[in-house]
Amino acid sequence: MAADSQTSASGNDHARMLRDSVADFVKRGTDIKRVRRLRDTQPGFERPVWQQMAEFGWLGILVPEEYGGLGLGCTEMAIVAAGTAGALTPEPLTAAAVLAAGAIARGDNETLKRELLESLVAGALIPALAWQERPGALDATAVALRAEPFEAAIKLNGQKNFVAGGAGADGFVVSGQSPEGLALYWVPAQASGLALDLQPLADGRMTGTLRLNDVVVPKNHLLASAACASEALLAALDTTLVMAGAEMSGVMGRALDMSVDYMKTRVQFGKPIGSFQALAHRAVDLHIQRELSSAVLDDAVALFDAGASGTRRSAMASRVKARCSEAGLRITREAIQIHGAIGFTDEYDAGLYLKRALTLSAWLGNAAQHRRRYAELAAANHE
Amino acid sequence: MTPPDFNALSDEEFRAKVREFFAEHYPPHLRFVLRRARLADMMDWYLTLSRHGWIAPNWPREYGGMGLDTGKMLILLEESERYGVSRVPDHGIVQVGPIIMKYGSAEQKKYYLPKILSGEHIWGQGYSEPNAGSDLASLMTSAVPDGSDFIVNGQKIWTTLAHDSTHLYTLVRTSKEGKKQEGISFLLIDAKSPGITIRPIRNIAGHEEFCEVFFENVRVPQVNLVGGLNKGWTVAKALLSFERINIGSPRRPQYALKRLEQLARAKGLFNDPGFVDKFTALELDLADLGSLYARYVEVVKRGEELGQEVSMLKIWAMESWQRLTDLLIETAQEYGGMPGEHSMDGAEVDVLSPFYYARPGTIYGGSSEIQRNILAKYVLKLPA
Repeated sequence: MAADSQTSASGNDHARMLRDSVADFVKRGTDIKRVRRLRDTQPGFERPVWQQMAEFGWLGILVPEEYGGLGLGCTEMAIVAAGTAGALTPEPLTAAAVLAAGAIARGDNETLKRELLESLVAGALIPALAWQERPGALDATAVALRAEPFEAAIKLNGQKNFVAGGAGADGFVVSGQSPEGLALYWVPAQASGLALDLQPLADGRMTGTLRLNDVVVPKNHLLASAACASEALLAALDTTLVMAGAEMSGVMGRALDMSVDYMKTRVQFGKPIGSFQALAHRAVDLHIQRELSSAVLDDAVALFDAGASGTRRSAMASRVKARCSEAGLRITREAIQIHGAIGFTDEYDAGLYLKRALTLSAWLGNAAQHRRRYAELAAANHE
Repeated sequence: MTPPDFNALSDEEFRAKVREFFAEHYPPHLRFVLRRARLADMMDWYLTLSRHGWIAPNWPREYGGMGLDTGKMLILLEESERYGVSRVPDHGIVQVGPIIMKYGSAEQKKYYLPKILSGEHIWGQGYSEPNAGSDLASLMTSAVPDGSDFIVNGQKIWTTLAHDSTHLYTLVRTSKEGKKQEGISFLLIDAKSPGITIRPIRNIAGHEEFCEVFFENVRVPQVNLVGGLNKGWTVAKALLSFERINIGSPRRPQYALKRLEQLARAKGLFNDPGFVDKFTALELDLADLGSLYARYVEVVKRGEELGQEVSMLKIWAMESWQRLTDLLIETAQEYGGMPGEHSMDGAEVDVLSPFYYARPGTIYGGSSEIQRNILAKYVLKLPA
């Protein structure tokens, strides 16, 4: 769009390189046929494609260089998140390389951290973060799952819901209440007593419920002690909110482009339907939403990359998730309307964008939830 | 006198200077006036600004302006809004002055610009007509050559503060050939010319801010043309980038948000999730507008021209502002139907003034619908 070319910074070399790799991937590495083929399958994505993402360096964008990553920031990650989501890529990129990786990278178990991050960056290991227990609960520190000392090990009991990227994950970062407070544990997927029930998401990917029934892990699987676990979770979640916003921006961008193109070519009453003011104004309103989303997103990645912390960081993350969720749902919903009956068919791609928007909106809190969170953070700030 | 070089100050120093200036000079009874203040109220302030060299922040210093760069301009505007400083009748400063600088003759510059600075000339804008509103290019007020003059006949309307103006800058029809836009000229007219009748129009807020202006065989020297015969459309469209972005600033809606917050706090509504949801949605509409606005400010600061997409700022700013005042009315309950200031749970709030004040923003300067047409055509490139 004109606004993008005029307003976005020219970007650094890494950003350019990543933009190129995303363009290359979208052209050759994935397509809508693949997306359709993988719908409602398990795990719902392809390991060779994941390996390709590793080779592009995407899995290590947010991982510090000392652990084999690129040590870049949200600016760069957002490019990849938006680009891949815009192509409806089903691989659990943000769930693993942002959310789980973010929690792992903030842990205080150096040996385990190194091992996990290095394998993650190489594409050999896919981790998933299991943090949420109750529906609608955004407070990551409200954890009931118990972590008790058991002989020379740790015993975990409890349940986690809505585990994104759980299908196909090689292991889980699990939050639990230890006698010392909230801590994070590494639980390999094959651990005994661990059960993952998969549920389909609207877009054909899977989410999971993770049950831990007397799961025993060695002490050195304590990934983040009570000293750092809460902040590790919070920071990883805030970052992921912004990246989910970036994904949504990719989805809404493609859905709106598709709708505007359709308005230029579909002829009724002897004219392209885009010449009708009712539709043109509708498209303009959607464009404004897209630009608002992109402006907030830009502000957020800049703030995060400048090292924002605490309430300011969280409030910004909620702003992004609220705006992008709202705009993404609206644009993809209206894409169906603009296309008319063809938009309501499974065969046409507009529906795929709506469904990805539905899952992205619902993930980690929708717009209404994040406006409330923003209000609570703002109120806490005033006091 | 040549004003000091304000751009040499750091942003913080300049901000402090502006605050100090307002605190020292601005009449307290004119803070937060929610309407276009009349000249009689504002003339002292106009002269104060003029005396100190602050009247024309956007003008280059060689013309007697402050020559502020975009960053400093924004600081000045932010502080004006913060302190509740009303606009002086500023069409001379904001509109016609820069147009004369760009398109005017040496004589026009020499004659008009100092008189704008001194407050001797106050300008009003004669663009719209009863049958040329959104479709401005259909304007019919005619200027027919007669010797070295034009004879002007017709009617202008919605001329803000015409009754306070000594001069009018107008768009007049000088040709009926070819495209409508190509037969329009930009003409400066002395409001005291024989044949001009000005009739104020009362608006829904009860204020007489705009007027009808009738022209009956009004004689105007042809040397008052700016930018050449039939070039008026180009002249009028050359509004400065800064003005196009300023109209989409989040500052004005911010005032309504503050009133809403004040009222809601007094009524204990921040414990009401229903209210908090609505309030937060609007608060974020403004915050996100701030992000979008800042993008365009950066473009202007880099010295680049703004494209047509800047129209979206005006749409979102003005419509968010209206949604805010809708909630203000709703929150005031019974008082939402009563003009003036009322005591509501200990808060003294006038809700209808901000509500009325927010109405014309989606109409003037190209209605929201016209802005959408512009975006559809030039940004989304939708077919006509």
